[in-house]
Amino acid sequence: MRRVHFLTAILSAALLTSLASAQTLTVGLDADPPKLDPALSTALVDRQVMNQIFDKLLDLDVNLKVIPALATSWKVTNGGLTYTFKIKSGVKFSDGTPLDAAAVKYGLDRNRTLEGSARKNELSSVKDVKVIDAQTVQLSLSQPYGPLLAVLTDRAGMIVSPTAARKAGTDFQNNPVGSGPFTFTSRVRQDNITLSANKNYWGGVPKIDKLVYRPFPDGDVRYANLLSGAVQAITPIDPKDVSKLTENAKFSVLNYPGIGFQGVWFNVTRAPFNNKNFRQAVAATIDREAIAKSIFYDTVTPAAGPFPPGTAAASSSIKVQKPDIALAKQKLGGKPLNFTLLTSPGSINTQMAQVYQAMFAQAGINAKIEQVEFGTLLDRADKQDYDALMLGWSGRPDPDGNIYDFFVTGGTNNQAGYSNKTVDSLLAKARAQNAMSARVATYNVALGTIINDTPYTWVYFQRNLVASVKGMVGLKPIPDGILRFKDVDLK
Amino acid sequence: MAVFALRRLLSAIPTLLIVTLIVFAMVKLLPGDPARLILGQEATPQALSELRRSLGLDRPLPQQYLSWLTSAARLDFGTSLTDHSSVGRLIAQKLPVTLELSLFAMLISLLISLPAGMISAVRRSTWVDRLLTLLALSGISLPNFFLGILLIYLFSIRLAWIPASGYTSLMENPGRNLLLLLLPAVTLGVGSAAVLTRYLRSSLSETLNQDYVRTAHAKGLAARQVISKHALKNALIPFLTAFGLQLGGLLGGAVITEQIFSIPGFGRLLVDAVFTRDLPVIQGVVLVSAVAVFLVSFLVDLGYAAVDPRIRYH
Repeated sequence: MRRVHFLTAILSAALLTSLASAQTLTVGLDADPPKLDPALSTALVDRQVMNQIFDKLLDLDVNLKVIPALATSWKVTNGGLTYTFKIKSGVKFSDGTPLDAAAVKYGLDRNRTLEGSARKNELSSVKDVKVIDAQTVQLSLSQPYGPLLAVLTDRAGMIVSPTAARKAGTDFQNNPVGSGPFTFTSRVRQDNITLSANKNYWGGVPKIDKLVYRPFPDGDVRYANLLSGAVQAITPIDPKDVSKLTENAKFSVLNYPGIGFQGVWFNVTRAPFNNKNFRQAVAATIDREAIAKSIFYDTVTPAAGPFPPGTAAASSSIKVQKPDIALAKQKLGGKPLNFTLLTSPGSINTQMAQVYQAMFAQAGINAKIEQVEFGTLLDRADKQDYDALMLGWSGRPDPDGNIYDFFVTGGTNNQAGYSNKTVDSLLAKARAQNAMSARVATYNVALGTIINDTPYTWVYFQRNLVASVKGMVGLKPIPDGILRFKDVDLK
Repeated sequence: MAVFALRRLLSAIPTLLIVTLIVFAMVKLLPGDPARLILGQEATPQALSELRRSLGLDRPLPQQYLSWLTSAARLDFGTSLTDHSSVGRLIAQKLPVTLELSLFAMLISLLISLPAGMISAVRRSTWVDRLLTLLALSGISLPNFFLGILLIYLFSIRLAWIPASGYTSLMENPGRNLLLLLLPAVTLGVGSAAVLTRYLRSSLSETLNQDYVRTAHAKGLAARQVISKHALKNALIPFLTAFGLQLGGLLGGAVITEQIFSIPGFGRLLVDAVFTRDLPVIQGVVLVSAVAVFLVSFLVDLGYAAVDPRIRYH
C-alpha cells in the first residue's frame, strides 16, 4: 500500500515537473511558409521553419563564414572540380533511419533532379554525387564553381530522410522528416506550424519543447500580438515600431546586418532609360541617408553596390554618393525627362515612391508613380514593360548570389535587360575562381563598369530586425536572417 | 412548395456554371503567371517550363476549364498550385471557421439591430431615436479594420482579457473558440447592425402609420402586442432581404477582419490565392461561396413566406 503511494508520489512529481518545464515558444512571421520541402521551396520564409527540421551539410557563423554542420570536414581538389565531404557518424533522422553518405547522396540528387525543383540552377555545376564510404561523399563538378560551399549552407544542402521522401513523393512537404533539432508535428494553413523538440538530436536536445510558427502578414497585427503575449518573438519588425520596442522593458530587439539590398531598376531596352545619362541623372538625385533616416528610422544602411558591409565582397572603395542635383541637371543636358516608376503595394513602398518622386523633381525630373500588385509587377518586369521599377533582393551569403544573375546577359534576375560582354566574362570568371580574395578583386572590376552604366541603382541594405520577450536567450545574429532555435531558451 | 424548391435548386446550376466560367476567364486574363509567382526569383526558363508542365498550365484554356469542371462535379477540387494541399481539404478546414464567424457576427447584429430598430421606430424623433441614429451612422462610417484594431488594443493589450489572435475549433475547446471569435464577430456585427437598424427603423415606422395598425390600437390591443404581433412581421421583409445579403457577403469571407485577428478563414484563403494566381483554390472558394449565397437567398425567400402569409410559392 505504502509503495503504491510512494510510486504515485514519484510519478506525479515527475509529471508535474515535466509539465512545469514544458516550454512553448511561439514565433510570429510575416507570411505562411508555402512549402516545407528543401527541393521545392521558393519562398524565403520556408527556410525559417526548415532550418529547425532539417540539418544542412554546412552552416554559417555570425561572420558569414562557412562552418561544419553535418559535414565535419571537406577538401576541394582537382582545380575546384572535386569536393569531398566527411559526414558526421551516428546521426539518425527522426524516423529512426540512419543519416549516412547514401542519405546525403539521395538528398543532393533529389535537389538536382526532382521535377519542379528550384535548386537546379544553384546545383547546375554538379555533375555527379558519389558515395565513397559510409561517411564520405564526393561531388564532381563540370566546371569550377566558387559559390558551391555557400549554396550548401542553404536549402540545397538540407538532407531529407530518403525513406520518408520516397514514401511521400511530392506530398513530402506536408509531412517533412529530417534530422534537425525539431520534428514536424502538425500544421494548419495560414494558422500555425507546430514543431516538437527532437529528443534524439545529435547536437543536444533543445531547451524549447514546442516551437510554434504563426503568420501575420500585417506588421501592426504582428506587433500587437507580441505586446499581448500571443507570441514571444517576431520577425521582421516594422521600422516605426523598433524604437517603441527598444524602450519597452519587457522586450529586447536584435538589429543586425543582413545580406540583401533594395534599389531601382532602369529598363535599358527602351526610352527613356536606354540613355545612360538619364539613368545616371536619376541615380544622382537620390539622398540615401535621408531615406534611411526618415522612412526607416535608421534601421537600414545606405547602399552603393550589391555587397552589404560585413559580407565577403564588401568593398570600402565603393562609397555611397551624396545627392548631387547639379550633376543630375548636367547629365540631363537640358532635355526633359518624364517616366513612370513602378512599385508594389505596401506602406513602405508607397512612402519610398513618394520620396523618390520628390527627390527626382529637385532636378526637374518628372516621375509618375504606378502601384501594381506584386504578381503583375513581376510580369511587367519579365516582359520589360516598364520604365523604372522598385525591386530588391533578399540576398545570398555568397557574393555571386547578389550579382551574377542580375547583370549577366539574359540572367534570370536581370530585369533591366542589361548586356555587356566584358561584365559577362568577368562575372563568369569570378564564379569559377575558388579563392575569395581573387573573386572579390574580379567583382570590383566588374562593378566599376556596372555602377557607371547604372542599369540598377542601389539605395539601401535592409537589416534583420527581431523582437522577443526579455527572457528569450541564445539567438545568434547570423546575417542570413534565419532564427536558429536549437540553442534558445525561454527563462 | 416542394416544386418551388426543386425549381430554385435547378436554376442555381446554370448560375454557378456562369460564375465559375467568369472567374476562370478573369484569373487567366490577369497579368502574372502562377509558375513565375511560385518560383519567384528562382525562375530560370527551364524551371518555369517544367513547373508549368507539372501544374498543367501549358494545356489549352478550354481543356483546363473543362478538366476542372469535370473533377468538381465529382467534388474533387484539385490541388493548390502553391502548396500542393488538396483544395477540398483546405475548404473543409476553413469553411466551418468562416461559417461560425459569420453566424456569430449576424447573431450579434440581430441582438443589436432588432431592439435598436424597434425602439427607433416606435420612439421616432425623440432623443432616443436621435441617439440611436447617431450611433448607427457612426457604425456605418467607422471602418471595420479600425474598430478591430481598437478592440485588440483595449481587450488584448490593455486589459489582457482576450488573446489578440488565433482560432481554436469548436470541437476542441468551445469556450476558447467563442472567446477568440468574440472580438472579430463584434467587429463585423457592429457594422452590419448599424445598417440593419436603419432598415428596420424605416420600414417599421412606415408600417406603424398604416391604417390597420391604427385600427388595432383602436380595438384596445396593448401597444406591445400591436408592434410585435402585427407591425413587426410586416416590416420584416426589407429587413430580411438586407439580412440575407449581409450574411451572404460574410460567407464569402471577411478578408480584413480575418487578417487583423489572424483567423484562418475563407477571406484570407481567397485573397492569397488571387495574389498567387492559384486558380484551383480560387475556383473552389468561389464555387462554395456562390452555393452558400444561393442557399442563404433561398432561406430568405422561405422566410418571406413565413412572415407574410400573402406570399405563396408554387
